[in-house]
Amino acid sequence: MIRESQLFEPFTEEPISVMNEAGEWVGGFDLDLEPETLTRFYRDMLRARVVDERLGRLQRQGKVSFVAPGGGHEAAQVGIAHAMRAREDWLYPYYRDIGLLLALGLPLVEIVGQSLGTSADPAKARQMPYHPGSGEFNVFTVASPIASHVPPAAGTAISQKLAGSGEVTVCTFGDGATSEGDWHAGVNFAGAQGAPAVFVCENNGYAISVGMRHQTGSDSIHVKAHAYGMPGYFVDGMDVLASYYVMREAIARARDGFGPSLVELVVYRYGGHSSADDDSRYRPRAEVEQWKRRDPLTRFRRFLEKRELWDDEREAATLQELGDEFTAAVKQAEEAGVPPVASMFDDVFADLPARLRKQRAELLGEG
Amino acid sequence: MSAVTMVQAVARTLDEEMARDPRVVVMGEDVGKRGGVFLATEKLFDKYGPDRVIDTPLAEAAIVGAALGMAVHGLRPVAEIQFADYVYPGFDQLVSQVAKLRYRSGGQFTAPMVVRMPAGGGVKGGHHHSQSPEAHFAHTAGLKVVFPSTPKDTQGLLRAAIRDDDPVVFLEPKRLYRAVKEELDDDPDFALPIGKAAERRRGDDVVLVSYGGSMAETLRAADALVEQGISPHVIDLRSLAPWDEEAVLSAVARVGRVVLVSEAPHTASFMSEVSATIAEEVLDALLAPPARVTGPDTPYPYAQDREYLPGPNRILRAVQRVLDY
Ligand SMILES: Cc1ncc(C[n+]2csc(CCOP(=O)(O)OP(=O)(O)O)c2C)c(N)n1
Repeated sequence: MIRESQLFEPFTEEPISVMNEAGEWVGGFDLDLEPETLTRFYRDMLRARVVDERLGRLQRQGKVSFVAPGGGHEAAQVGIAHAMRAREDWLYPYYRDIGLLLALGLPLVEIVGQSLGTSADPAKARQMPYHPGSGEFNVFTVASPIASHVPPAAGTAISQKLAGSGEVTVCTFGDGATSEGDWHAGVNFAGAQGAPAVFVCENNGYAISVGMRHQTGSDSIHVKAHAYGMPGYFVDGMDVLASYYVMREAIARARDGFGPSLVELVVYRYGGHSSADDDSRYRPRAEVEQWKRRDPLTRFRRFLEKRELWDDEREAATLQELGDEFTAAVKQAEEAGVPPVASMFDDVFADLPARLRKQRAELLGEG
Repeated sequence: MSAVTMVQAVARTLDEEMARDPRVVVMGEDVGKRGGVFLATEKLFDKYGPDRVIDTPLAEAAIVGAALGMAVHGLRPVAEIQFADYVYPGFDQLVSQVAKLRYRSGGQFTAPMVVRMPAGGGVKGGHHHSQSPEAHFAHTAGLKVVFPSTPKDTQGLLRAAIRDDDPVVFLEPKRLYRAVKEELDDDPDFALPIGKAAERRRGDDVVLVSYGGSMAETLRAADALVEQGISPHVIDLRSLAPWDEEAVLSAVARVGRVVLVSEAPHTASFMSEVSATIAEEVLDALLAPPARVTGPDTPYPYAQDREYLPGPNRILRAVQRVLDY
């Protein structure tokens, strides 16, 4: 239905935006979101920021070994999440997507448990922090090798097409990922099959220290869609409503059998690449400050305030609530305890082979 | 039912499993109308159509990775890599994603899929159509590795691989694809357990262990030994991960002498693992050090296509060494 009255053109010169810096609607079409939905978007952005900040604090305290800050990506991630059908559509995320996973509905305690490495993690603390996943939510477990999740995402989308399931696969990644062979192999296969996939680049301009100019000869990421026979959308990823509406259209297009698209959400990474990074070595502070002036939360808050949907009081109350929620989640995740050593031998295969049984006994000093 | 070759056994087993289970799909380069460059997927396209016999782009990372994405979504993909030598673009997918998915997700996601690939030399294909990469896979936790040598074992093990809930790398010795014919089993559920070796000959003087393509030369060497009045015990491993330690160790403990034959390059080959296990577990029973007869540590040569392979003469010389020890 959206496609017939398609709202957005692919391959625009400028990023698509529907809300200006002053928080005014400039979409040129009727906003069709309920007030509760709008405030929900904002709350999810605020939640992403609070969780990001608090996990960072846990990292500095030595409780969490690693973080990959998501500050600056909140609008993009919340827009993606709300355009999806949670538990029905599939998501192939990457490590910076904590805010996206929370907005999709993954329990905070699981996310915190994953980063703390406790049994609150449904994956039994098998991976380093910022690498969650959820069978219940069809969220493919994050893997470190950049872009290695792109061919599997294409496969799931092809399977969805074969099943006629009406589901869609959304696959997210950074700008650096688009240089990997796996990225091209996966996107190309989805294109060849007309699979219901939406590939989403959260383009923060850097892959650790390497900027876009050294990453690719292309001026932008979305243009790469040309090569794979799909539309490429260029979007202001600091605009939550633009992110949401473009994603909604791309997902509807995939769901209705019109094939994959590539969406580029232009964002900025406020923090270092990770807790192991020192970004002052490669980024001028002025650049960071300049982007922070375009903060996606500030912009959307202005939008809500104009509609009398938000004020200082609600902000303070929500921050209090989110802080308490995080504190409670840490407590609960810590209480779950660290998985027993012997559990490291589980889930290599469905059944434990004789060799692993022997190695387990030896490691536990029983052999 | 008439006897068939190994490659026909692959096609027939795929057909039977696709007929039985609508979740089974076949994918790879040229597997559709062409029926695969070796005809391992012959006639499947006509019977099951393009949704279940998928001609993929020429990208092994896409083939292996997409098979994984299909498997987590409920299909049972059987992906073909045209030659094992071309698995390397998809190697990262196998090692980083396929092998580890059950583990890294704590069992929330699994990868019930098969990656088939013709492997091994003896077809005048040079180093990029002749290699034996099985040790890479056996070294990777989370993969099952199968390497049969007969049509019927191919039938039984491929069926087991397709029905397995974990990923299986299924290597097929291409020089034996059409070497012999054998009757297949008519039981539509005939499957062989992954991890069980086959005893090809029972004997008392020396144990010969091999698998895949080198089984042919190993059996020829065994025939020659029998003519000389020597009694060889011959084991076809069939599976490398897991492998049948019990069958090998009990035979070696009983006989005391063992020769391990594989055409894969010598250093850190799968037979290195078998040899080390024998040394660790049954050293006291050994009457001679285990001997390995393998391909040399060179890239696979073109002109010396036959000489590279451990032939009966090299195997017999190694047997002589362990008998004379
Ligand atoms: C295959 C691979 N190579 C290198 C790395 C190390 N690495 C981790 S993140 C990263 C940069 C990724 O940048 P981008 O895709 O733009 O995402 P961002 O972190 O900026 O969100 C690199 C090089 C890796 N994880 N995987």
